[in-house]
Amino acid sequence: MVDTNNINYEVEKKGYYKVLIGLLLLTGITFIQPHLFMAEASFVPQMIIAVIKAYLIVIYYMHLKGEKLIIPMVWFTLTLVLVFFVIVIGIDVANFQFGAESYITAPTAHQ
Amino acid sequence: MSHEYVPEIATDRDGNQHEVQGWQDDFYGGKLGFWLFMFTEVMMFGAMFLTLAYYNSLHPQDFLEASASLNRWLGGFNTVILLVSALTMGLGLLKMRAGDVKGAKLMIWATILLAIVFLGVKAIEWTAEYNHGVFLGLPAMQGGHEGSMPFGKILFFGMYFTMTGLHGFHIIIGIGLMIWLLKRINSGKVSPEHHILHWNIALYWDIVHLIWVFVFPYYYMIGAGITVAGGHGGH
Repeated sequence: MVDTNNINYEVEKKGYYKVLIGLLLLTGITFIQPHLFMAEASFVPQMIIAVIKAYLIVIYYMHLKGEKLIIPMVWFTLTLVLVFFVIVIGIDVANFQFGAESYITAPTAHQ
Repeated sequence: MSHEYVPEIATDRDGNQHEVQGWQDDFYGGKLGFWLFMFTEVMMFGAMFLTLAYYNSLHPQDFLEASASLNRWLGGFNTVILLVSALTMGLGLLKMRAGDVKGAKLMIWATILLAIVFLGVKAIEWTAEYNHGVFLGLPAMQGGHEGSMPFGKILFFGMYFTMTGLHGFHIIIGIGLMIWLLKRINSGKVSPEHHILHWNIALYWDIVHLIWVFVFPYYYMIGAGITVAGGHGGH
């Protein structure tokens, strides 16, 4: 049985609070970013901030740090989702034959 | 055909064989199984985000304007609520592992309370949007007539209600799981020695938080830099 009870609560608690502060700071940056730079193109900086937040959550809150088996699984799944959907959707979109009846293009295309 | 009982045998690191009585103490197996479940969640929401990105590439200006009209302050408030709830859930698990069962239960209750606040804020937000004529099925979101929104905005809000609705559904499931966890703790079935259920429900809550980490900027923030007249978000 894996021993997950052998922990120092006070030390671990400090780690949780540090991550919380980091996440709060990043949330703050999320709010002020459009006023500071790239106001017309916030998508890229917003997603970069989201990825950093996700990294902190996955590594520290979800205890992935030091996991030898699950980390490769995470990468495999993320790659699978990206490659599979991007390629499949990409091929589909590149060869789209139903523009006239489509519900994802503007209604003017229907006429 | 024989129905003779065939025991399952596990071998320890020294090569000794033992008859398996149950898998309840298979901590790593339980955790691995839950991660596999979480990957299905990643695939589901991942596909939705890719769909959203594709729609966005077709109608970039409509997406920016629709995003600018959402209430960022309510969305931001909910972001902080979920952030703090991830902390309380994590601290609850830490307390359980350290043997403080009462403290763990208190932290789970705090997480439930924060989850209810999140849903309350979401309800306020959706009600305001409904009152502004923006909701699934309302005339403005039906394409092809005079009062319709631009087509890109219909796609944006269609995805917005679908994804935040699905996320809200996950929050409700999470509340149910936490109440079930409390019952299991009270009956002694989850304890500092047997806490895999607590661990996995904490993981579930983290993935619910993780999804929101991407939902919030994609819907509320990408259009924050542009000024739109007639936004219904009150800012």
